[in-house]
Amino acid sequence: MTGRGVKARPRNRVIVNKTIAPYLFLAPFALFFVAFLIVPLIYAFDISLYKKAMVGGVRFVGFDNYTKAFADPKFWEGVIVLFKFAFLQIPIMIATALVFALILDSGVVWAKAFFRISFFLPYAVPAVIATLIWSYLYGPAYGPIGQTARFLGFEAPDFVSPEWILGSIANIAQWQFMGYNMIIYFAALQAIPTDLEEASVVDGASAFAFATRIKLPMIVPTIIVTVVFSIIGALQLFTEPFLIQNMARSVINSNFTPNIYAYNLTFVGQQPNYAAAISFLLGGVIAVASYVFMLAVNRRKDR
Amino acid sequence: MAVIELRDIRKAFGAVEVIGRANLTIDDGAFVIFVGPSGSGKSTLLRLVAGLEDATAGQILIDGADVTHLGPAERQLSMVFQSYALYPTKTVRQNMSFGLEVARLPKAEIKARVDGVADILRLGDYLDRKPRALSGGQRQRVAIGRAIVREPVAFLFDEPLSNLDAALRVEMRIEIAKLHQRLGATMIYVTHDQVEAMTLADQIVVLDKGAIQQVGTPMELYQRPANLFVAQFIGSPKMNVLAVRPDGSALVFADDSRADFGMPVPPSLAHIGFRPEEVQLLPAGQGHLQGKVEVVERLGSDTFVHVGLGALGIITSRMPGNVLTISQGQPVGLGLTMTQLHPFSRDGIRLS
Amino acid sequence: MSIVGKSAHSAKFRRNRWLLTAILSLYFIYTFLPLFYVITAATKSNQDLFSTFGLWFAADFQLWENLETLFTIQDGIFLKWMANTAYYSSVSAIGAALFATFAGYAFAKYTFFGKKLMLALVLGAVMIPQTALVIPMFLMLSNLGLTNTPLAVILPSLVFPPGVFLMWAYIDDAISNELIEAGRMDGAGEFHIFSSIAFRMLMPGFATVLILAFVANWNNYFLPLVMLNKPDMFPITVGLAQLYSTAISGTGGVLLFTVVMTGALVSIVPVIAAFLIMQRFWQGGLGAGGVKA
Repeated sequence: MTGRGVKARPRNRVIVNKTIAPYLFLAPFALFFVAFLIVPLIYAFDISLYKKAMVGGVRFVGFDNYTKAFADPKFWEGVIVLFKFAFLQIPIMIATALVFALILDSGVVWAKAFFRISFFLPYAVPAVIATLIWSYLYGPAYGPIGQTARFLGFEAPDFVSPEWILGSIANIAQWQFMGYNMIIYFAALQAIPTDLEEASVVDGASAFAFATRIKLPMIVPTIIVTVVFSIIGALQLFTEPFLIQNMARSVINSNFTPNIYAYNLTFVGQQPNYAAAISFLLGGVIAVASYVFMLAVNRRKDR
Repeated sequence: MAVIELRDIRKAFGAVEVIGRANLTIDDGAFVIFVGPSGSGKSTLLRLVAGLEDATAGQILIDGADVTHLGPAERQLSMVFQSYALYPTKTVRQNMSFGLEVARLPKAEIKARVDGVADILRLGDYLDRKPRALSGGQRQRVAIGRAIVREPVAFLFDEPLSNLDAALRVEMRIEIAKLHQRLGATMIYVTHDQVEAMTLADQIVVLDKGAIQQVGTPMELYQRPANLFVAQFIGSPKMNVLAVRPDGSALVFADDSRADFGMPVPPSLAHIGFRPEEVQLLPAGQGHLQGKVEVVERLGSDTFVHVGLGALGIITSRMPGNVLTISQGQPVGLGLTMTQLHPFSRDGIRLS
Repeated sequence: MSIVGKSAHSAKFRRNRWLLTAILSLYFIYTFLPLFYVITAATKSNQDLFSTFGLWFAADFQLWENLETLFTIQDGIFLKWMANTAYYSSVSAIGAALFATFAGYAFAKYTFFGKKLMLALVLGAVMIPQTALVIPMFLMLSNLGLTNTPLAVILPSLVFPPGVFLMWAYIDDAISNELIEAGRMDGAGEFHIFSSIAFRMLMPGFATVLILAFVANWNNYFLPLVMLNKPDMFPITVGLAQLYSTAISGTGGVLLFTVVMTGALVSIVPVIAAFLIMQRFWQGGLGAGGVKA
């Protein structure tokens, strides 16, 4: 009965072989990736080499915009704000996310699923709306925090004063993104085989020692990735200060962060060429910051 | 029904050569087993035949036709995978029909073929189940059934039994042997288990380091291994090997003890091999070699005695039955059957 | 329940349980209060918003009046914003998830020339600041006359690199190479294998990416802010932000304060509901990405 087989019959279908197939699978994504990522970047780089003159229209100026941006205190003030923000926000967020993930994973507490999901939910709230809600909460007249302070006989804190503004923005980010990081750590912790836990119990380790000495080191690669993404996100800060600007015009100026600066240069200042150079420079700062972080981490690992 | 020929087949992944210039002819209807340690290239060789890998150089012929550049399905072969690779979202019937549907066979014929094969493999009751609702042995039979319905010119098996437990493995081994008798089709089977190789194969192809070491019937490989690798790979417990120097008609061992060979020793002799069943345990002082019993393994049907020879290493002797007179630490003499020695050169090639 | 947890029903264990649950409860209050504030604010009149305590309801329950105002101001523009948001995010999410799935499949299941380079490009793309992309994109699309159209928001959103990584990790795990080879032995073409064997197996991963892409688009602000300037094309995010700045600058009258919070409430309810209903998917999926990392 063997040997009759399934003889190849004339096909009107095109059979794609495995050499071409991956390119075809990639094609739709790659097409849009090129059109909406590569091409805009090249275009931005191109326009960053020109300058709009008062008379005579646009002319080629080479890297003038970059040298100008390099010496522009408005850009560097924004970068300093970003770094202050990142150093304030990221460590607190990562630490709380880790602690909560370890607590939930250890199974010591009640209502684990409830906490896990409710901590994550703010991630579903759009950044714009989260900022709106918090700016209401920060509000001096109608905000409940101010109300409580006054009720207790204190002065209502000014959340958008120059001293408090970064903390107020960091708080919004903490509220929004802590749970997201916690979920990722939690999943990584859950993936650790249970026989390790059994082994540590046999070794006489306490639950706390097991969590901090065995589990934590095992998810270090996951932590590094989330920190890199947090750095990238923090250095692109835009939406929160852009909206809070409405209630704090004197504190959040038109170059509070480089992204706000570039936005205002383009749409208010009519200087898209210079804005493109600022954006590229910010991209460079982000790349360097991520790289320095990875380098520092690898150094410590080698030691 | 097919003769499969490999001509000067080479396969390299980048700079790493995994198969170097393999030549092999597989007869029509033969059950051929590729055996070797992991990394020997046996699976790659099978996948080259299947068309799942492209050969870097050389030709593959099926019934004289060059199929080197044809895709897997066009070669009219079927394959049973190690993990079975059943489509988890399809029922048993859909799993078996899929290849026939792809080939656009008439619905009635697909049904007839699937029902017929399900009958042979006793899968009739499971046709509407999904693979995850089946036991390991049933999944294995579905995988084989999926291969049979396509009525291929040859079957390829990639370590099909390695995911089964020991008892089921023996059972499926017998089923596969019966299947081969029934279908009479050419089968190529990859395994690292030499018991499977010895029991199933008409021809065994031993591979090591990407090269074919020897091709032959199980008994040819057992009785006349072409080199030290094959000698030690086939047979369990494995063949004993000792380094020797020739001296006229005597063998001189590494510790300068001598044994009379009974005839002139080939001058290029560097190693002798002897099967455990060719080693007799004698009272201390007698025989060719002296040593001390280190470990006794009792299997009931056989007794394996591992005798330490000091610097020369350990020699294993196999004796039928449960031998009660031997105990650990006992000094013994070893008698070798000189006519059953396997002589090898310095390079490990068989002499004579 | 973990072994360590079981190991001791001692007094120490019970004390830890109380203590840790109390810590989590405190953080829960912090997480929950802003959401609770949205609810109370949405039920108040503008006057009560300023004169009553923020974290409790006022005597005068004004939710229906606020909803009425929300849906009727500027000829019912809020409804328009909701429809726009639903339209932009669902089309973008479906497209982005499909493209990410195809690309992830290619990365997970094939070796091909240029694979490493392409992966590096996709990863590097994450570092590019929004302004560096969106502003030149705006200039280019405005040359093509595409700004102020839904396409200006949808087309750029079809590129979703995190989805590609997630699908790559998921497919690598969920679909064995042997399964694809079995399909090849059965004579199926590469697309046929994808559509009739692989696709159903990667549905959980696909669902996760779909949800993540949907949320990313639902939450998007910068892209529509730059691309759209006609109010009736705005998504909720841009619309509400504009309402808010009108409210706070006083030009639209103080009347709008509670309406903004009512709008916030209406717009987060569907996303939170979606997350709660589909938690099985995103929890598993986010995990896959995290573990792979």
